[in-house]
Amino acid sequence: MIVPQIVFWVMATIAVLGGLGVIASRQPIRSVLCLVAVMLALSVIFLELSAQFVFAVQVIVYAGAVMVLFLFVVALLGPMREQPSNRLRFQWWLGIVVGVVFAGFVYAQLQGIGFRAPDKVDLTVFGTVEQIGAGLFTTYLYPFELTSILLLVAAVGAIYLSRGGRTASEVHRQEEEDHGA
Amino acid sequence: MPDYGQIQVGSGSLDARLVLGLAFVLFAVGATGVLIRRNPIVILVCIELMLNAANLTLITFAAQLHNLEGQLFALMTMTVAAAEAVVGLAILVDIFRVRDVDDVDELSELRG
Repeated sequence: MIVPQIVFWVMATIAVLGGLGVIASRQPIRSVLCLVAVMLALSVIFLELSAQFVFAVQVIVYAGAVMVLFLFVVALLGPMREQPSNRLRFQWWLGIVVGVVFAGFVYAQLQGIGFRAPDKVDLTVFGTVEQIGAGLFTTYLYPFELTSILLLVAAVGAIYLSRGGRTASEVHRQEEEDHGA
Repeated sequence: MPDYGQIQVGSGSLDARLVLGLAFVLFAVGATGVLIRRNPIVILVCIELMLNAANLTLITFAAQLHNLEGQLFALMTMTVAAAEAVVGLAILVDIFRVRDVDDVDELSELRG
């Protein structure tokens, strides 16, 4: 059967084109939408790799909630266009060079890797919600509870950072008043 | 000796090396994006791209080794990524309140 390979190649093409779109598009909103395309393509590959629960979480939480948060912030901050900077003009070329060197390094590491023999498990129930739940609530109960504290800290921190405060125009007015006095 | 790199998918199979190669390409694209882009939002998006590539690696090895721990770790990564995105965007909105920034290089003075 060749179907898994076809599905993989289609989704891999979408993911790579979306990834290039993320770093190539001029407007932030297009970058965010390209990332949504990458995440949906990756979720299909997760499904092929028998990660049903991770697939659902990827679509609902990641592509759904987190990216909507990104879109909200992009909409809140208004359109931004990158101006050609007179500072660090060599940064673009240096970034490309470092990226290519990094890619070559990882590619060299990938050559000739071997695979360990897989464990003997019942593949008909592998990756189901029951198995994920059993793992999360027995062996990995402690890290699972710690993530709830992490989320609580993140929520409190986000509320603290985005509570009231002065806007840009208020700061500007204040500076003008200071200047006038 | 059998090729352990083949992951069984339904009645067919998928080479784990292909999936690892895709994850590697996506991570390299994300890393390059962080280096060459200057818009703070796009940099955060590129970080999310790299986290997704790492997730794909974890899930590939979970499927290759028939070991569920890779999937559990991918779920942890998603939680951490969500927390990171929330705090990063909150900091960004807070900075934008004081001044308009479309270039992270402008934030080099350590004063509001």
